[in-house]
Amino acid sequence: MTKLTRRTFNGLLGTAGLVSAFGISGCANGPAGPHVVVVGGGFGGATAAKYIRRRDPNMRVTLIESSKVFHTCPFSNAVLAGFKDMAYITKSYDRLASAHGVNVVNDTVVAIDPAKKTVTTKGGATFTYDRCIVSPGIDFKWGALPGYDQAASEIMPHAWKAGAQTALLRKQLEAMPDGGVFVISSPGNPYRCPPGPYERAGLVAWYFKQKKPKSKILILDSKDAFAKQKLFMEGWDKAYGEMIEWVPANKNGKVLKVDAKGMVVETDFDKHKASVANVIPPQQAGAIAFAAGLTDDSGFCPIDPVTFESTRQKGIHVIGDACIAGAMPKSGYSASSQGKVAAAAVIDLLNGRKPVAPSFINTCYSLIAPDYGISVAAVYEVADGKIAGVKGSGGVSPAGANYQFRKKEADFAEGWYASVSQDCWG
Amino acid sequence: MKGRLAIPTIALAATLAVPAIAQADTRISIMADACNGCHGTDAASPGSMPGFSNKKADAIKKALMEYKAGTKEATIMNRIVKAYSDADLAAMANYFAAKNAK
Ligand SMILES: Cc1cc2nc3c(=O)[nH]c(=O)nc-3n(C[C@H](O)[C@H](O)[C@H](O)COP(=O)(O)OP(=O)(O)OC[C@H]3O[C@@H](n4cnc5c(N)ncnc54)[C@H](O)[C@@H]3O)c2cc1C
Ligand code: HEC
Repeated sequence: MTKLTRRTFNGLLGTAGLVSAFGISGCANGPAGPHVVVVGGGFGGATAAKYIRRRDPNMRVTLIESSKVFHTCPFSNAVLAGFKDMAYITKSYDRLASAHGVNVVNDTVVAIDPAKKTVTTKGGATFTYDRCIVSPGIDFKWGALPGYDQAASEIMPHAWKAGAQTALLRKQLEAMPDGGVFVISSPGNPYRCPPGPYERAGLVAWYFKQKKPKSKILILDSKDAFAKQKLFMEGWDKAYGEMIEWVPANKNGKVLKVDAKGMVVETDFDKHKASVANVIPPQQAGAIAFAAGLTDDSGFCPIDPVTFESTRQKGIHVIGDACIAGAMPKSGYSASSQGKVAAAAVIDLLNGRKPVAPSFINTCYSLIAPDYGISVAAVYEVADGKIAGVKGSGGVSPAGANYQFRKKEADFAEGWYASVSQDCWG
Repeated sequence: MKGRLAIPTIALAATLAVPAIAQADTRISIMADACNGCHGTDAASPGSMPGFSNKKADAIKKALMEYKAGTKEATIMNRIVKAYSDADLAAMANYFAAKNAK
């Protein structure tokens, strides 16, 4: 009964949405150009949808997104630390529809047919496209880490997709007694947001320092080194002394097994009992990328670096965390930058023009404390058929900088967040 | 304008010239749009990042060249501008100024 009602409702909504957003094809009002369907309204998909409409108002764009609102992972570590709230990281789709004329559909895509050029949703609606852009982000490889499945993530949250998991981990940290041990299990490469686990450690330390100063943070790592490592360690040392301990893979840090009920995290020789455990599991492209045949053996999607068109399925472009983008890390800034390039390429291809050589930027600001920021920035181009950093540019913040410099970068981190939120969804 | 005059006078070349110019514009617009992630769409920053949507092309150009020369105080722009040729920096400055003049 419920299912039937929902199906009918969504089916109607899909059609009604199309008509009101675009007008009936051939009418004086509304665009009548080619139709692009964007799957996923995160950093990559929202940007692609907005920038297609900005570049060419004749294009029709439908954005299909599972969630009614989006919770950003950027600044979710600040929510864990308690100096930002969930409202701060919640984004609405209203402006994509009202200001940019994107037909926003709240549904989940379950199939893409590259031969028929159709997208089918869980709600039962079918959309025909001229080109499709897919930006589903990541999914977790449940079970790849023995003992860690979806049920275990309700006890040992990953909080690597923002929203309910963020709220759950925050609640656990608040309930933790002073003197407890917060364990973070950090995955091997590649994964979403390489500096993310380390930003999390620092900001939770900031919270502990004020509310539970006898507590400890133990980072068990599947890697021997990590992004902005020198800067993080300099900052942790200055701000938190001994509170954070990092154990690399070569010092027996790699987590091999977890026991969620017993709150135990196991490495080769050690069993660590945690008060609160944050297990960040191995990752792969979002499920729809598998369903549509876009992934390779790595679990991510190979693409043409100029257009982001899948090398597996014609007419489907993959951007963001789900795609294999050469030297670009999996970040929100990267996904958004790729969304702009894919938008321009799709417009060119649909108009019979050759796409131009693209240019990208990535930036990741990380906070060590609310007033202590560090950054990495890079500009990318396509060289020898691969996305590579432009030589002689980019890099990380200087080591040993003074308080004013770190404070400035912390302010710019918030400024970046305001800008990127506006650039993607505003 | 300059590009169009430089094209040989044969008719075929003249018809090809239009897409070539459009392509150059597209390349610069893609390059410049990547800056919006920090500066906001069309550099109209909504928060604590400096915006420059109210600046004239010359002022933007001047700032970018000074970041490149290392003579203007910066936390991050110095690392970014080094990736671009002087001509591309100037073209991006023109692009932002023209967008915001509309
Ligand atoms: C703790 C943490 C901190 C981070 N901090 C930063 C930072 O400071 N800066 C930065 O640049 N990046 C940061 N990131 C990384 C950033 O969150 C991701 O790289 C970014 O979200 C990737 O964008 P995307 O478009 O690929 O995927 P997402 O943003 O995850 O968007 C995917 C969307 O697709 C939807 N979707 C998926 N499948 C379907 C389907 N079948 N049908 C309909 N909709 C679907 C999902 O609901 C989701 O909304 C951080 C990540 C974490 C975990
Ligand atoms: C990582 C975020 C980031 C990116 C990406 C970025 N900027 Fe900036 N920009 C800044 C910051 C921060 C400043 C202030 C100076 C500093 O601290 O480096 C600034 C300053 C500027 C200024 C001077 C504004 C003023 O009024 O003083 C201009 C012009 C500018 N940027 C242009 C650009 C252009 C063009 C690009 C793209 C090629 C770009 N920026 C990319 C962060 C960024």
